[in-house]
Amino acid sequence: MTAVDPTTTGRVLEGAAMPVRPAPARRRRGRSGANDLTVRGKVVRYLVLSLAAVVTIFPFYAMVVLSLKPAAAIDFPASLLPTNLTTEAYDRVLGAGNIGTWLVNTLVYSLVSVVAVLLLASMAGYAFAKKRFPGREAMFWSFLAMVMVPYHVTLIPTFILIAQAGGLDTYWGLILPTLANAQAVFLMRQFILDLPDELFEAAKLDGASEWRIFVRIVLPLCKPILATLGTFVFLWHWNDFLWPLIIGQGTDHWTLTVGIASLQQQDVPLNMVLAGATISFVPIFASYLVAQRYFVEGVTSSGIKG
Amino acid sequence: MTLRTTKRLWTAALAVGTLGALSACAGGAGAGDSTPTPEDGAASGSVTMWTYPVIADEAAHKAFWDEQIAAFQEENPDVDVNVEIYPWAGRDETLATAIAGNKGPDVVYLIPDQIPKYSKSLAAVDNYVTDQVGDLRENAAQAVTVDGAMLGSPLVMNTKPLVCNAAVFDAIGESGNYPETWDDLMALAPKLKDAGYDATNYWGSVDATLNESFYPLLWQAGGSVFSEDGSSVAFDSPEGVEALQFAVDLAEGGFIEKDLLTTIPAFEQTNTAKGKIACTWQQGPGDVAGFWGEENVVVLPPLTEAESVAFGTVGSLSLLKTSKSLDAAGKWAAFATSPEVTAEYAKSAGWFSPYESESGLYGDDPVQSALEDSLQYTTAGEVNEKSREVMGVLAPEIQAALIGEKTPEQALKDAAAAADPLLG
Amino acid sequence: MTATAPTSDGLTADRPPSARPPVPGKTRRIMERREARIGLLFALPAFALFLLFRFGPAIAGVALSFFDYTIGVGAEWTGVENFRRMVDDPVFWSALRVTVVMSVLIVPVSLAISTFMALMVRRSFRGSGFYRSVFFLPVVTSLVLAATVFTWVFSSNGPWSKLMGTLGFSTDSWLGSTVLVLPALAMVAIWSRFGYGMLILLARMQDLPRELEEAASIDGAGAWKRFWHIIAPQLKPTLFFLAVIETTASFQIFDLVYVMTAGGPARASYNLVFYIYDQGFKYFDLGYASALGVALFAVTLVVAVIQRYLIGRDK
Repeated sequence: MTAVDPTTTGRVLEGAAMPVRPAPARRRRGRSGANDLTVRGKVVRYLVLSLAAVVTIFPFYAMVVLSLKPAAAIDFPASLLPTNLTTEAYDRVLGAGNIGTWLVNTLVYSLVSVVAVLLLASMAGYAFAKKRFPGREAMFWSFLAMVMVPYHVTLIPTFILIAQAGGLDTYWGLILPTLANAQAVFLMRQFILDLPDELFEAAKLDGASEWRIFVRIVLPLCKPILATLGTFVFLWHWNDFLWPLIIGQGTDHWTLTVGIASLQQQDVPLNMVLAGATISFVPIFASYLVAQRYFVEGVTSSGIKG
Repeated sequence: MTLRTTKRLWTAALAVGTLGALSACAGGAGAGDSTPTPEDGAASGSVTMWTYPVIADEAAHKAFWDEQIAAFQEENPDVDVNVEIYPWAGRDETLATAIAGNKGPDVVYLIPDQIPKYSKSLAAVDNYVTDQVGDLRENAAQAVTVDGAMLGSPLVMNTKPLVCNAAVFDAIGESGNYPETWDDLMALAPKLKDAGYDATNYWGSVDATLNESFYPLLWQAGGSVFSEDGSSVAFDSPEGVEALQFAVDLAEGGFIEKDLLTTIPAFEQTNTAKGKIACTWQQGPGDVAGFWGEENVVVLPPLTEAESVAFGTVGSLSLLKTSKSLDAAGKWAAFATSPEVTAEYAKSAGWFSPYESESGLYGDDPVQSALEDSLQYTTAGEVNEKSREVMGVLAPEIQAALIGEKTPEQALKDAAAAADPLLG
Repeated sequence: MTATAPTSDGLTADRPPSARPPVPGKTRRIMERREARIGLLFALPAFALFLLFRFGPAIAGVALSFFDYTIGVGAEWTGVENFRRMVDDPVFWSALRVTVVMSVLIVPVSLAISTFMALMVRRSFRGSGFYRSVFFLPVVTSLVLAATVFTWVFSSNGPWSKLMGTLGFSTDSWLGSTVLVLPALAMVAIWSRFGYGMLILLARMQDLPRELEEAASIDGAGAWKRFWHIIAPQLKPTLFFLAVIETTASFQIFDLVYVMTAGGPARASYNLVFYIYDQGFKYFDLGYASALGVALFAVTLVVAVIQRYLIGRDK
């Protein structure tokens, strides 16, 4: 069968029926955007964006600066100046005995979940978007409806289910319930809905198997949304507190968030709280910067889905 | 074929769901002995204990328990004890869920606020602590007793009488003139305000326990939260109104930090941490020594209105009924809360032992001696199964009074009207 | 797909069989059956997990609302007693009102800001990548941390109160006012969520054909007209998704309230999820908590259905 190169959808379609949209527009995408605005428009834009950026960044600046301060009373705005910095809060957090174990558990929890959710959600999203089968709409809406049941109500039944199945203190017990992510399925479905049917029909006529179509056509076209979704799933799992706390009955089974909390007294010094938060935040942001590449690819690439 | 498949799927869904529902109900079925007695000879089995960061230094805390386990195993070599130090955060969710799923620990650290809530899941420890119980302070024993049975064995206790900042009194020229009654505090308040200080602090957020903020005032006025038999509330009495009026007067006069009435900011931001308050009954010396300077911390007996009462927590070890090694757990709990062990633990935590014989842990230290003196005026609260629910309806009403939306009388009346049905 | 008026709603997407070669009836049925089987197979793993860990516990939760459940003891059938209690419970109605008000304050503003920001940063200009990353930061933050910092921001000594002071208003903390506490919480919620919507809208906006906008611009249509008549209709399915997700999320805001106000002052920010948490894990009345959960679920579902009819139509 002809190799379907997902980055050049236009070419594949030339042989088939109607193209999605006229191809030539692509080249102008990257550069011409800036020409839309007048000078005044550009100034306004920069002002608005800068203001929004300050408002957005400020809490992080506060978090990092305050985590580097000694445990003393805080006087604003003086305390926000980067003077008198110390790493004592970080020493306390990082010096904890089990931090290595907690880190490993968190990595396993987050990374395995990302891969599993992306795979399952894209498969299901593809089915809901492109395949007709009886009960499809009911099934899809039931996914959504279940998200509307508040978390605290389902916590104990979920725990009992896993506990009775012997999943306490295990990775699978920790990970499995969190893979049922309706939002991910919803997102993939909405995205895949927009992929043109002709693509699939052309591939099928070429004799490609369903799985091959999924892997060679759907997934590559969904790279940006997969990158976006992957980042979200990663961060949700990295920051998760209550479930890892409940399913892991001991320090060896806890994740970073839980472990750091187990070091904190009831009246925990603010710098320690913020140090723990910064430590949690850094890898998430790093993973975002990595995934960003794919957003940007989608943003600056030519007129294809993705 | 696919339609049938879909139908099969939905039937499966329903089946799974019902199964889940049934197991949720079956999970907590109350087996287990409510009043176990010690078995002869050494115990055997494995005991899991959940505790929390009572001792600040994680390494020191772990070392302490390792030491105790080793000592216990000399007498009971067939018992495997595992102590897990859990986070303070989310402990009720964790414990309740574990019990519901029949996967709880054998021994757990609880405070008097929790004991009535878990009472149906706890086994009485009376038969295990017969040797020690005579030596217990009365208020400690009372804090863990529900319906005549001890549902926990006290491990540590603390108290929060009145803590004042000497530097503040020096600054307004009232050195050494520490308040003894409500009127004393009120008299000092305007002078303090003019000099830029608060008279005291009052944590009014609904999340802060009333045991530390309002109830001490209520008790000092001579009132109580519950009636004698616990079947109705008694805080809407004239004493209750008097107590709330005192707090409202402090708020209205601008003598306390306004933000604390409705939120819980980081401690470092509060006027308390900045050394801008005169006295407080809601912090212990350990909380403020680092901010005020140790030499400025003065511990005094609690304020007196009709009575002199302070609030104190009792941390205790409780046995879970469903434990598979109930005997071993009971023996471990008794050992871990024996007088000498509690003395060592208390000293590491900066707290006190619940036993009369283990006094004088801190020698001549003025702050600690003064605190220890106050233990006689201390109560750990009124034990009632619905304490939390009552606090849940009372705290918002108190807040309403403090921010001026209701009169104290009206607030307490409304709270009582909402609370009585809960107890009925 | 052209940007003309939508001809079907997003859920029963039915493509005109433009390119499909004519197929005899019987073969078509076989093909359709095969396609249906494939569809089910692809959806199955996710659906199985969902059955086990969402559907099951949800049914258990709903079932529990008909019982009086004490932890460590067991459950006792009480029929609709919990629901009767709920209807007579003034705290329930107050919590429901708080939930709805919060949602009304958050969702439209959040969606508007997400859309506006997406429009601002969608072109590639100098620094656009930086801004996109910056606006994503709050999403990546745990809400507990945000709440801690914003408690300070709104406190009497914090920057927001100081700003209010310079504008001539009182410098009392908004978190201490029964009227202003919800707008304050809404601001924090919007701050933490707008980046999510922005990113998703951005991904969608990249695929919009430029020619339409350029043509309109040449025709003299202003920015607003271009947005409203050309861009917005094509964003409908994405906006529908965001509306449902954001509304559901706003109904379940917990961490923010827990850290910043604990439901105060005087229950002004005590929303339904918090009430459920208190009933379930503070008072251990899980039967009643489940009944409250059923109520919240019902309200969320009704709102989602309404949103589907208002926004859900797409090509």
